Amino acid sequence: MKTQWLFPHRFRLIGWLILIPSVALGLAYMYAEFHFEFLTVSIAKGRGFLGSDLTINLTDEVAALGVIAGLLMIGFSKESIEDEMVSQMRLEALQWSIYVNYIVLAIAILFVHGERFFDVLIYNMFTMLIVFVIRFNMLLYKNSRVLAL
Amino acid sequence: MKNRIKVERAEKNISQAELADQIGVSRQTINSIETGRYVPSTILALKMARVFDKRVEEIFQLEETD
Repeated sequence: MKTQWLFPHRFRLIGWLILIPSVALGLAYMYAEFHFEFLTVSIAKGRGFLGSDLTINLTDEVAALGVIAGLLMIGFSKESIEDEMVSQMRLEALQWSIYVNYIVLAIAILFVHGERFFDVLIYNMFTMLIVFVIRFNMLLYKNSRVLAL
Repeated sequence: MKNRIKVERAEKNISQAELADQIGVSRQTINSIETGRYVPSTILALKMARVFDKRVEEIFQLEETD
């Protein structure tokens, strides 16, 4: 059966190579106020403090886009033997991740208030994909273990 | 749904890996189908039937619970 909308198998490795530095960069940005100077760009001439240019730094943008691209490539690359059972496991993992994501979000809505909820929203941008990748790989691992027994 | 894949394989003397190769799936998938943990698509069932040179109904049968 033809499986569509998937990246070639090698994109999984590329995904990991993008994800890991992006996560490190994102965490450094959030908790250590790290940023790359060369990613500071001017968005409005003379509109900033005392007539200087208004600037923004794109470190967090780069980190967030890297995390999204990495997770998508890891989760949606073809397996070495991509067959219909693998696609079923992928869809099951996706359903599972939607449930988990919204249960966790519901709990956070109930118990996290004020400014800290902004952190919840930041993490929530990625949790669905993270849970999906973990669950999918767990299913693949369990499935590969069956033969070893 | 029950199946006779293991028996058919034994008769034709082909391994799970060989069957998997012939119909383009992984060995795990053949194993899961044999043990009833995964129900194959119609296409896969037809491909298996072709390998064993049998009709699909001779390999897969409905159970009361289906």
